[in-house]
Amino acid sequence: MARSLHSIELDSPATAEPPRVDAHQAPNKQRLWLAACLPNLAFEISQKPVLHTPAVVVEPQQSQLTVIAVNASAQAAGIETGSKLSTAFALAASLQAFERSLRAERASLESLAGWAQALTSLVSIESPESMLLEVSGSLRLFRSLEAIKAKLGEELTRRSFTFRLCVAPTATAALWLARAAGADVLSPHELTGRLGALPLAVTRWPQPAQELLRELGVRTVGECARLPRDGFARRIGVAYLHELDRAFGRQVEVRVGFNRPVSFRSKIELFEESTDRVIFLEAIEQMLDELSAELRMKQAQIRAFKIGFEHLHRAPTIEQFDLLEPSHDKEQLLRLIKDRLERCQLPVPAVGVRIRTGFLVPLTIQAADLFERVPVGTLTRALLERLQERFGAAAVYAVRPVAEHRPEKAWAKLNGETEAGVRSSEWLEPRDRPLWLLQRPVPLESAVARDHYRGSIELCSGPERIESGWWDEQDVARDYYTAVSSHGQKLWVFRDRRSRIWHLHGLFG
Amino acid sequence: MNSRVWRGRGAAAARAVISTGFPPLDNYLPGGGWPKGAITEILIDGYGIGELALLMPAMASLTQSAPAKAKKWIAWVSPPFVPYAPALQQHGVDTECVLMIHPAHGNKSRLWAVEQTVRSGSSAGVLAWVADADDVILRRLQLAAEDQSCWTVLFRPQSARQQRSPAALRIMLSQHAAVTRIQILKCRGGRPGIVDLERQLLAPPVRSLKARQ
Repeated sequence: MARSLHSIELDSPATAEPPRVDAHQAPNKQRLWLAACLPNLAFEISQKPVLHTPAVVVEPQQSQLTVIAVNASAQAAGIETGSKLSTAFALAASLQAFERSLRAERASLESLAGWAQALTSLVSIESPESMLLEVSGSLRLFRSLEAIKAKLGEELTRRSFTFRLCVAPTATAALWLARAAGADVLSPHELTGRLGALPLAVTRWPQPAQELLRELGVRTVGECARLPRDGFARRIGVAYLHELDRAFGRQVEVRVGFNRPVSFRSKIELFEESTDRVIFLEAIEQMLDELSAELRMKQAQIRAFKIGFEHLHRAPTIEQFDLLEPSHDKEQLLRLIKDRLERCQLPVPAVGVRIRTGFLVPLTIQAADLFERVPVGTLTRALLERLQERFGAAAVYAVRPVAEHRPEKAWAKLNGETEAGVRSSEWLEPRDRPLWLLQRPVPLESAVARDHYRGSIELCSGPERIESGWWDEQDVARDYYTAVSSHGQKLWVFRDRRSRIWHLHGLFG
Repeated sequence: MNSRVWRGRGAAAARAVISTGFPPLDNYLPGGGWPKGAITEILIDGYGIGELALLMPAMASLTQSAPAKAKKWIAWVSPPFVPYAPALQQHGVDTECVLMIHPAHGNKSRLWAVEQTVRSGSSAGVLAWVADADDVILRRLQLAAEDQSCWTVLFRPQSARQQRSPAALRIMLSQHAAVTRIQILKCRGGRPGIVDLERQLLAPPVRSLKARQ
């Protein structure tokens, strides 16, 4: 009797519960996506919002600085996102403008995603400002959707982000609704109607596509979805059609979950205190073997690593290695370490060696060409790495001409990091320029200049007047001449128009 | 039949040349240009007598001929002044291929940098300013240059003239009134002699100006 009662009790919840909507609608469980949109992220990554004066974050768009985020007092002054920086300055003279840092934004989203993994196993970062959480699996644990939203909201408030949360059965829909500050959609039935009312801008499709749709008289997502499919695919793009399908739940959606990056560390204790390089290298090689096994298993590579030598009663000596390109090649790493060890001297003997890598990054294979020659790019990287390793990053650089009248500013060093900033000018200097330029001009009669030419000199062509640069307080006013020394050297000299002193500035090598 | 006759190991390498861009000089040098996979030594005291301009046409053709994907460097190791990018551009050199290397002081690290650069296989040419270099290191450089078919130019003081050198070509530069005198001291497969170039010839070519505009 007791037994049957027991069985009834066990069964009863299943039978008593009303059939779920999703149970017969979809073969697999209905998903529920929680989107967190941080519209002011660009601002809030630093402490800028606490400013009480107008401030904006700008980004270069089509060669003009465009405002992409504003704080409250800038908003009060009438500055809107999307306006030009010059317009913003006209509206508020005391404006402070900050350059956008996509990297910092990404980093803060990643840190947030790491935290959000406590709520659900599937967290996905939607660049540039949103995050998606698949929460259907967590409902049971947290008992209700509201509890999850409250927890996330609490954390976001703690990190002082402004945010909008929105729940929808598909990820794209949740994202779009969150951008439009819409209300939650819990059932797939409501989805079509609610999504349809959203303005087209929430899709963040590129401007030309949105422009084209606007010209067709399409204002909302719903109108978009009513267009003939084949025409839409042909005129706007099939990728956007698929995105629409995914938003409305007509196509399966796959999101890549965020994984907290991992790094590798290892340590070897030496038998006794030592300064012997050979012993260190042996230990390091052993750890590199471990590392390369790990990298092979994870199909990953590293971008930077540190080697630490541990001393007794003293802070460890740390050697930092930064690679130009990620690598998983043990031999290459070992070569770099050997080069470094040959030059560095430990202050006191070490009792242990440890290695710690930066985050592992996914492996990318560079294909060799048909004849298995190593691509030139790889050779170049290896060379630059070796040279920079030995002489420092500043000792190896490329040069570019710059469109500028002041001779000393008409060229630029490119040194890895600065590469993106400087663009090579297509403009070609029409006047004769020397192949050698002095680091800085020196007075013609000084001993330094005297080292560079012999005999007396005679002007042979000129003057070329260069007067420029009043805007950055390094202005020059010079008359340039070509001169020839009595020993046949061709020189580039100028007379400063203010001090009337002759200077040597270059040699026609 | 002729092709089967063994002509010594260096023959093929010695024949690869880059035109100097100056017909009188091309006519004089065996093969008609700078030896490619070999060391060229330029002995010079003082700067500003057209020593760079002499190399510019060859450098321009090296940087322009390569397809974009397989671009190789022209590396400058410890140049005494700033190689002026606008002037390089005027001479038709693609500045994207120019790499500057400033090793720590001392000849040893300079020569190390030269050797690394030549050996790497990523450089089409290397220009280096080195005062002292012994026979052994020069021989190693020569072998590396042959191996990688790298145009290696060493600028050295005229006092190095008395030292032995495995370089394929040794020239001494001096200025005499309006001519730059190129005195060929040693030339593999050729004979010593003197070539005079008008200084005017060394100015940047006008054609590249027009081509760009």
